[in-house]
Amino acid sequence: MSEKKNTGRRAFMRAAAAAALGGGVWLAATPSSGAWVWQIDPRKCTQCGQCATHCVLNPSAVKCVHATRICGYCDLCSGYLQPNAPALDTGAENELCPTAAIKRSFVEDPYFAYSIDETLCVGCGKCVKGCAQFGNGSLYLQIKRDLCVNCNECSIARDCPSHAIERIPLSRAYILKYDDDSKGTE
Amino acid sequence: MVPDWVWAALAIAVVSVALALFVTDSPERPGDALVYDVSEYEAVDAEDIRYRETLRVALELENPAALAVDNNGHILIAGEGALLVLDEAGGELARREIEGRPYCAAVAPDGVIYLGMRDHVAACSPEGDVLAAWDMLNERAWLTSIVADENHVFVADSGNARVYVYDHSGTRHTVIGERDPEQGLHGFVVPSHYFEVALDTTGALWATNPGKLGLEKYREDGALLGAWHQPGFDIDKFPGCCNPVHIAFKSDGALVAAEKGINRVKVFAADRSFEGVVAAPELLNAGWKTADFPDDMTPVRDIAVDGNDRVLVLHGPLRSLLIFEHINK
Ligand code: SF4
Ligand code: SF4
Ligand code: SF4
Repeated sequence: MSEKKNTGRRAFMRAAAAAALGGGVWLAATPSSGAWVWQIDPRKCTQCGQCATHCVLNPSAVKCVHATRICGYCDLCSGYLQPNAPALDTGAENELCPTAAIKRSFVEDPYFAYSIDETLCVGCGKCVKGCAQFGNGSLYLQIKRDLCVNCNECSIARDCPSHAIERIPLSRAYILKYDDDSKGTE
Repeated sequence: MVPDWVWAALAIAVVSVALALFVTDSPERPGDALVYDVSEYEAVDAEDIRYRETLRVALELENPAALAVDNNGHILIAGEGALLVLDEAGGELARREIEGRPYCAAVAPDGVIYLGMRDHVAACSPEGDVLAAWDMLNERAWLTSIVADENHVFVADSGNARVYVYDHSGTRHTVIGERDPEQGLHGFVVPSHYFEVALDTTGALWATNPGKLGLEKYREDGALLGAWHQPGFDIDKFPGCCNPVHIAFKSDGALVAAEKGINRVKVFAADRSFEGVVAAPELLNAGWKTADFPDDMTPVRDIAVDGNDRVLVLHGPLRSLLIFEHINK
């Protein structure tokens, strides 16, 4: 009886160990299991352009996001227009985005609203840099969770010169663009 | 039997190839079409630089934000919790504790100091003691610039995109910048907290219209007298958005203007022809990293011109006052 009991316990222990080991191997082999996700910290990103070229996906899982709350709705949007654009309109020669992913719509004179067509955006960050350098910085780059395959080691993060990409728990919300409207602080 | 030297040579060859592969294995770089580059506009011809820095004063002040010069040539600098008075050579004459953080400062001809706090004006004696706190504005208010003459105090409020005209007692008489689409007046376009007022040498009031990339001249009753909008990336224009971010006038009527995006201070003659550069991006961007000051859209927190036509630049990240003098060629 006791031998039977011992055999049963041993079998259970073996099964448990196998399950734990198997589970561990399975977890290690499938890093996209979802507990953690890669995210860009918009405050650290310097828009080097590598988010467009270094992602394992093509086009990249990184997309431009617009924090409309801090947008100035400018007609001369520096994220939308080429520097020194010949005219402040939707002519292709004036547009900054290489894939025409930014859409502009008239609100009232002289204000325009801007939105991003994610299917066209390649995550180059060109508009983000223009907006950050001259405007309010309302455009920013983010890794989209619905697109990212959650590589074990994000190949953009590996080469990101600003160490702007980190892994955060899936349960945490997207890292959004901060809303600091101060004139300048230390 | 293969001789040892062959193995050694083979080993060296393998290691060399591996090393060469390792060194040359750089990931694909983004092409020009994917990179935002305004370096051609940031470059300044040496010939265009008409001023040189003659003095740099390190400031013992948190968050220096406001700069003004009084009739005695004394330099006032306000920051978090303190107001400094410096002599012309940058020596500290006085230091007064103040409550809160002013964003702008002005000195009236009678010596009274006006500090623009976020949502109200504080009038202070020439010694820096608070005489009166004027009525609070609404919760959107953000006072970014203030200037005073014998009768008026003009205040720019970026939050409400309005310029207020007060008398010295703090009574508000006029609000400039109301929108009237039927008359084609879209008021001030103020996308960020950069909105300036200044008085020229004739005493006329100028206000920036940042979304229009230029200046407008107003009578104190609010009538628009003229506009000078200069959008563009060439050196004689104002680039991007919200420029110029700070303005001041020299005694000959020349306009001194600081810009953000391309961090630069430049001068336009009284007829508004381009005169030259005071401080090039190279000078203003040296000694600090933008990553350490993510909330600063420009290192220049304020500018002023003193009685000797020196251009004073308040540099936030360096926590310093930079003084420039014209190079007489
Ligand atoms: S690689 Fe880093 S710095 Fe470059 S665009 Fe992506 S997040 Fe920004
Ligand atoms: S400029 Fe680049 S990051 Fe911005 S919307 Fe276009 S493709 Fe996306
Ligand atoms: S984890 Fe992979 S798929 Fe996601 S952004 Fe990084 S490289 Fe692209």
